[in-house]
Amino acid sequence: MDEFRRYLAIVQKDLRVEFRTREILYTTTLFALLLVVIFAFAFLSDAGKSRDYGPGIIWVTVLFATTVGQNRLFDRERENDCLWSLLLSPAEPSTVFMAKATAQIAFAVMMQVPTILLILVFFDLGVTDPFSFIAVLALGNVALGLVGTLFAAMLMNARMKEVLLPLVTYPIFVPVVIAGVKVTAVAVGAPIAEDPEVWLKFLAGFDMIFAVVTVVLFGRMVRA
Amino acid sequence: MRTKGGFTPGWIGYGLTVAAAGFLAAALYMVFFVAPKEATMGISQKIFYFHVGSAINMLVSFGLCATAGIVYLSIGSVNRRWADIADAVGVATAEVGVTLGAIVLITGPLWARKAWGTWWTWEPRLTLSLMVFLLFLAYLALRAFAGSDRFGRSVAAGLSILGIPALYFIHVAVDRWGGAHPQVVYKGGLTQIDMRIAFGLSVAAVFLLATALSWLRLSIERERQHLDALYLEVDRRLG
Repeated sequence: MDEFRRYLAIVQKDLRVEFRTREILYTTTLFALLLVVIFAFAFLSDAGKSRDYGPGIIWVTVLFATTVGQNRLFDRERENDCLWSLLLSPAEPSTVFMAKATAQIAFAVMMQVPTILLILVFFDLGVTDPFSFIAVLALGNVALGLVGTLFAAMLMNARMKEVLLPLVTYPIFVPVVIAGVKVTAVAVGAPIAEDPEVWLKFLAGFDMIFAVVTVVLFGRMVRA
Repeated sequence: MRTKGGFTPGWIGYGLTVAAAGFLAAALYMVFFVAPKEATMGISQKIFYFHVGSAINMLVSFGLCATAGIVYLSIGSVNRRWADIADAVGVATAEVGVTLGAIVLITGPLWARKAWGTWWTWEPRLTLSLMVFLLFLAYLALRAFAGSDRFGRSVAAGLSILGIPALYFIHVAVDRWGGAHPQVVYKGGLTQIDMRIAFGLSVAAVFLLATALSWLRLSIERERQHLDALYLEVDRRLG
């Protein structure tokens, strides 16, 4: 129970700092909106085909904007060695990690809600299967959040972290993007023969395995 | 100050190098002069001996790299010496693995152009090989640019370990995703005994080459670590 209170305290701290400064939310949301506009110019030649590239646009936007946010996630912990203070506190390293990951996922979701609504409007996409649409984004964000938070934390002090973070995480995100695009395509009514349930289960499995592995690795990596 | 504790290739390194050279020559001889020409694919099939040999040894190298990562993260905080060795093994095997991966990804399309009429298809096995290659290129980028302090080392070790579940999920995903593409047809083994010998020799030759290169790279890395330690010692003594 104590551990859960510590977890809540760290999440609360991150959310409070963010709501006061709005650094991550403001910059990533604006970045995502600009990406959508760029995609509109890059692709929108035939409005009838938006179902073909709409899911891809959603996932590329989510991926890029989330990565930008993840790069900033530990900036506050870097000053005055705050991350080490957190790790020296009675909280377990796994608690610190889960709290940071939760905050990251919360920021990502807050950024994505207006962005994705805007994509649906701009590209005239109708969601025919809202459950799959929301479920795949939720599961996908957990996956991006877990892996991204782990490497963002470890690369916090690296000289080239902005470039290194996507280099390291994108190969691991490939299955998430594949599953995400497939389910989203089905959810907006694209005529492809895919069973969204299989991909949702796949993503749930991905999330569970990586939740365990990233928590264990974080504990080992900060100690090594 | 003593400079003892360095790590020279020694007779193992030279022995491995000579053995690798011998096996490579023997394998090349078997492949081009003894093994018969394959009936339907002709001469282009001969690239498979080294293509598959490199692919197998690439996976062995990356497996060793991940194992070294596990060792590094399990005992890194307890035993400095073994942590240094595990770290050096990680760099050496990753670099050799990436080299072998480059061979696989160059010889594969060369053959595919002849056999399938296209350089590349997004077929599951090809996609997976490319992703393994990219993952370990990222590992090398981390080694090169994230610094060689304990952060850089543990984040690289973490990536090599995370690569194992990641590759499993990539494998499952690209399998379903690329399901519509043509599958590589693997015939029921190499029928001719000469082909089998050539194949076995090729795998062994690439294995010896990879081992020799890893060993030499390992000794360079150990020397570098030793030199770093000496620099630190000098700094400490001069205040």
